[in-house]
Amino acid sequence: MNEILQKLVMLQDLDCMIVEVKSKDAKKVQKKMGLEIKGDEKLQDARKVLERSIPPSILSRYHKLMERYGKAVAPVVNNSCMCCFVTVPKRLTIREVGNKELRNCERCGRFLYWV
Amino acid sequence: MKQSDLLNYFHKDLFIPELKALSKDGVLKEMAVWLESKKKVYETSIIYDLLKNREKLGSTGIGGGIAIPHCRSIAVENLTVLFAIKSKGIDFKSTDKKSVKLFFMVAAPPQDVNYLVFLGKLVEVLTDKKIKKMLLKVKSFEEFKNIVSGVK
Repeated sequence: MNEILQKLVMLQDLDCMIVEVKSKDAKKVQKKMGLEIKGDEKLQDARKVLERSIPPSILSRYHKLMERYGKAVAPVVNNSCMCCFVTVPKRLTIREVGNKELRNCERCGRFLYWV
Repeated sequence: MKQSDLLNYFHKDLFIPELKALSKDGVLKEMAVWLESKKKVYETSIIYDLLKNREKLGSTGIGGGIAIPHCRSIAVENLTVLFAIKSKGIDFKSTDKKSVKLFFMVAAPPQDVNYLVFLGKLVEVLTDKKIKKMLLKVKSFEEFKNIVSGVK
């Protein structure tokens, strides 16, 4: 798997986790579980470290996509971008081939991650 | 969600009868690797990293010898639960400081609407004193199923 793509997936997952930590529903469940959420400072630190390892031009694109769509990386399932549902080129149907390089959806521009 | 509905998410191949790991991070790694070997997650490193980050918010050890490490990632296709036992117990920095013997790892894609409902129900069942007492003695997947389905 492309190393930068892997970092982008991790960054998006981390961003989702930060949003979830702040959401009321998630807090309610965590409280019910008897778990204490200590705040997201450590997640923010982990995020900063991850961001520093991503080339600035790609990171900038990630931020623009997050701002525009709320998601910058789209899963590809059954040959389609799961965010805008456009079909991806047939030569990229195999997961290992698709994830070998950093690619963007031709319609929505999100980074593509084959699952 | 009913108690019996929980079992729809548990499968025999997603059960580790005895974990080999000797540390908290080791348990998370072993379970993440198991999920990848069963083709339930696509990249161990992504899931492992995410689980470790979740633990930074506070331990998912809910007390009474039980932990529920959980995360959401696009590297997971469906809501998946892996149940594992460490009969000697392991220090998981739980809220009650007790060692953890039963691990329920929950991983789901970000858009899964059942994730929080499932977690809530799972906690409800696992914190039932009678069920918990029986579960802590479980050695096989069948025993676990019978307890949760109310047969035992």
